[in-house]
Amino acid sequence: MRYSSKLISLLLGCSLVGSPVVAESEVPFTFDVPQMEEVAASAGLHHSYEGPWEFFVGGGVASFDCNGDRMPDLFMAGGTAPVQLFVNRSKAGGDIKFEKVAIGLSERDGAKALGAYPLDVDNDGHTDIVVLRLGENLVLKGGPDCSFTKVNRSFALEGGSAWSTGFAASWENGAQFPTLAFGNYVDRRAPGSPWGTCEANVLAKPNSDATTPDYSSSIALEPGYCTLSMLFTDWNKSGTPALRITNDRQYYRGGQEQLWRIPANGAPRQYGRSQGWKPLRIWGMGIAEADLDQDGLPEYALSSMGDTMLQSLDKEADTDRPTYRDTAYEKQMTAHRPYTGTDLKPSTGWHTQFADINNDTRLDLFIAKGNVEAMPDFAAFDPDNLLMGGVGGKFHEKGKEAGIALPTRGRGGAVVDLNADGMLDMVVVNRKAPASLFQNRGAKTSWGNRPMGNWLAIELDNGKVNQFAVGAKVTVKTGNVTQSRRIQVGGGHASGQIGFVHFGLGVAERAKIRVQWPNGDWSHEYRVFANNFVQVTKDKPDALYWYPKP
Amino acid sequence: MKTRFLTPIATVVCLFGAAASYATGKVWEEKTAAIGTIKELPRGVLDKKQLNDLIKVGEDLFTAKFTKADGAGRPGSTQAIVPTKVRHRSEQAFARLSGPDAQACSSCHNDPIVGGAGDFVTNVFLSEGFTNADFDTSDPQFSNERGTNHLFGAGLIELLAREMSDDLAKLRSRALKDASTSGEPVEVALTTKGVTFGFLTAMPDGLVDLTKIEGVDTDLVIRPFSQKGVMTSLRQFTVNALNHHHGMQAVERFGARWTGENDFDEDGNDNEIFAQDVSALVAWQATLKTPVQKTPASEGWRTAAQKGESVFTELGCATCHIKALPLKSLNFIDPGPFDVAGTLNNRQIDKSATYDLALMEWAKSLPRNDKGEVLVALFGDLKRHKMTDRRIAALGNELLSQRFVGRDIFMTSELWGVGSTAPYGHRNDFTTLDSIILAHGGEGRAARDSYDKSGDGDKSALIAYLSTLVIAK
Repeated sequence: MRYSSKLISLLLGCSLVGSPVVAESEVPFTFDVPQMEEVAASAGLHHSYEGPWEFFVGGGVASFDCNGDRMPDLFMAGGTAPVQLFVNRSKAGGDIKFEKVAIGLSERDGAKALGAYPLDVDNDGHTDIVVLRLGENLVLKGGPDCSFTKVNRSFALEGGSAWSTGFAASWENGAQFPTLAFGNYVDRRAPGSPWGTCEANVLAKPNSDATTPDYSSSIALEPGYCTLSMLFTDWNKSGTPALRITNDRQYYRGGQEQLWRIPANGAPRQYGRSQGWKPLRIWGMGIAEADLDQDGLPEYALSSMGDTMLQSLDKEADTDRPTYRDTAYEKQMTAHRPYTGTDLKPSTGWHTQFADINNDTRLDLFIAKGNVEAMPDFAAFDPDNLLMGGVGGKFHEKGKEAGIALPTRGRGGAVVDLNADGMLDMVVVNRKAPASLFQNRGAKTSWGNRPMGNWLAIELDNGKVNQFAVGAKVTVKTGNVTQSRRIQVGGGHASGQIGFVHFGLGVAERAKIRVQWPNGDWSHEYRVFANNFVQVTKDKPDALYWYPKP
Repeated sequence: MKTRFLTPIATVVCLFGAAASYATGKVWEEKTAAIGTIKELPRGVLDKKQLNDLIKVGEDLFTAKFTKADGAGRPGSTQAIVPTKVRHRSEQAFARLSGPDAQACSSCHNDPIVGGAGDFVTNVFLSEGFTNADFDTSDPQFSNERGTNHLFGAGLIELLAREMSDDLAKLRSRALKDASTSGEPVEVALTTKGVTFGFLTAMPDGLVDLTKIEGVDTDLVIRPFSQKGVMTSLRQFTVNALNHHHGMQAVERFGARWTGENDFDEDGNDNEIFAQDVSALVAWQATLKTPVQKTPASEGWRTAAQKGESVFTELGCATCHIKALPLKSLNFIDPGPFDVAGTLNNRQIDKSATYDLALMEWAKSLPRNDKGEVLVALFGDLKRHKMTDRRIAALGNELLSQRFVGRDIFMTSELWGVGSTAPYGHRNDFTTLDSIILAHGGEGRAARDSYDKSGDGDKSALIAYLSTLVIAK
């Protein structure tokens, strides 16, 4: 690489003046930065996450298709305000448009929602929603045309009365229905609450003999350490996902981050120090997983107050020895204080999500940021982060340049293509403020916006059970570059999504897809052309292309 | 280190007139003066003088012997179409398998004149540059060996392909709309300009089944260039070839926007070829005259050729080697509409340039049909066909598929200019027209067998006819 010394000096100078965060690498970021235009009002997305202390956390959004048009619709938790469902009315490549539609929930069920995750629990082809609440959690069974019915009773799911803030789901091998994990926060009724009174988490496995979802028995995952996010993850390529949990040190005593073995038969067991698990105590808010170095072993971004962590397996790790080290500093990903403005106090991270927002093949990291409420030791102006992947695996903060540095208190979110133009947009649920909707306009130029790199969006069809292939691994190869994504329900902050899996292809015109299906079987190679939506169905020889309505 | 900075858009330097003289240094300086001469990307409709000036720069670039000072060579990267670093550096400046393998475009494209085809000695090796060998070998297990195609009439070929791609996209859109309206799957024949590319089935929910398409990629983009039909445009071909054959890396694919580096090939030269340089090369190629059907001097040849024209149709040659396809517009837009990121396209810039090919002298004699459409006498269908079967398999001598296209599937060779471009076949294996005709298997088998069974008179007449299809010197 060669750059003139003047250019480097200029860029370094700009960095020192404009960014008080860290001394960035001398390698400048030369890739496209998307222009993210805030369009919530014009798009018809009017939503705010409200409520007292119990709703300082949460504020999730579920992104999924509820009417069969394959365009992502949004179900948004409102805290003390009611949940809202917004149906996507965008045209392909046009301005994002949403229409609010009635859900039909009772006033009681529609209130006190903290989070929402989409998944098809009962394998009927309609996506259901798990709603995390202060009080009874709900399963809303999806039907045609965005209709939903509360099915806790018919699924024999006891929604509990806890303060639920985390969720994850996974289909165990051979299971007809998913295993559900609920993460709970502070037990407000316990003596001494909130300090040191964390509620146990819950693991609900389906009755294997039942032909319909039956969650009549559940297991308490104890101890709980005030969980704010959880994720089933195949951390060691064993084929059996473990449950990773991030916890809020604000309230636990003697707690730490957790990783649980979840065997098909037998009791869950927490990894401990003797198995190589190093205690880590952070204000864990959100989890995002990505295999950044394509070694088959995922990395985890953990949002917190102050440093964001990026955990990679350490050289001391082994197949049953989950020893992690933090690589956020070396990857320039700490994002520990605001990157713009004069407030230099530590920042507070919530929803985290890896995605390739500029379609250059390098994963980027979005973090929703915002003060808990009015914590004086943390930044009051705390804009969301857009850490863009650059040369050598380093990340570069481009939130300000992209246009997302707003004075909001972000919580949950989704990075998803909302108008089928191949560029990822963002929705951010803000506390006590209107939600943000950032439409990705592409790279800004002197004459307007231009599209960025090539892309591919892949929909998986796993068949009658677990149709959306939760747990599958999708790999895309262009030249010598292999990218992978894991289909997961969980993680982030109180927010999940189901739908097309997005890949940036950079300058590649073609790509090869392979899928490791949830049962572990690898597919053959599917050959597709860039800039298309494709559907890959298990055991079918050819991929189908999908075209959104213009 | 030599550093070239990208010229800001606002900098206005006159393009036209620049072509007259590049003199900025010593005349014996070992570098190509034409590179970087054009300061801005051409835009809008060019008049004749503007177009001719651009063409002149393009010709100078096409014939330039690129040097190390220009940026020739790519010690740090491979010939791959996606920027890829080498695993092992070569000690040699040139290599047959991986390239660079030529100093100038015209080193190979020169028969019978610059822009033409090449003899066997100019064959190139298509090793993708990802995981294949980085040692030098012509062993077919590591690469496909291909002859050099001529470029005459290439602008019209690309325009035909664009119109056909447009047609296919419209057919797909209409089928999707009909399926959505009716609620039932809709199958549509993919026919454009009389060429059928199979069928697709559109589902009411927007899914499209492409398993019955023929001879075209699944995105329904006609890629008219290379023997395999895998290159979308002259621009994409130019960017690919500059890197592969010369190690001259175009900023629009290898620049910092995509690779993070200004000198991706690590040869000490930043930003080796700007977009406007590529535009000049494209303009020159796109405006090359068409091959012609010459009128033989001898009466005997004239008579035989006249008969041969009928034989050509009677034997079935014209089924794929369609004599002429109609073209609606002679406006060549560059950067064009069907390229994607990595090759500059019309979505990446504020305004493309339009080259009106009707300005060219050769265009004045192009025949037109009753609709006013230009009849492009390419003798081809811009469609890929399987060219082998169990008995006739001489054209199945490649071991590697290329960009999703099977090893024995090739684009119908356009026969205009065939009388000037021996040897024949994708590897230049055939010294005579007779031998390449007899090598047609697969989808070309019926016509080949008709030829084989025909009398000596018909065979001779057909050869006589094909020999009149020449590139005028």
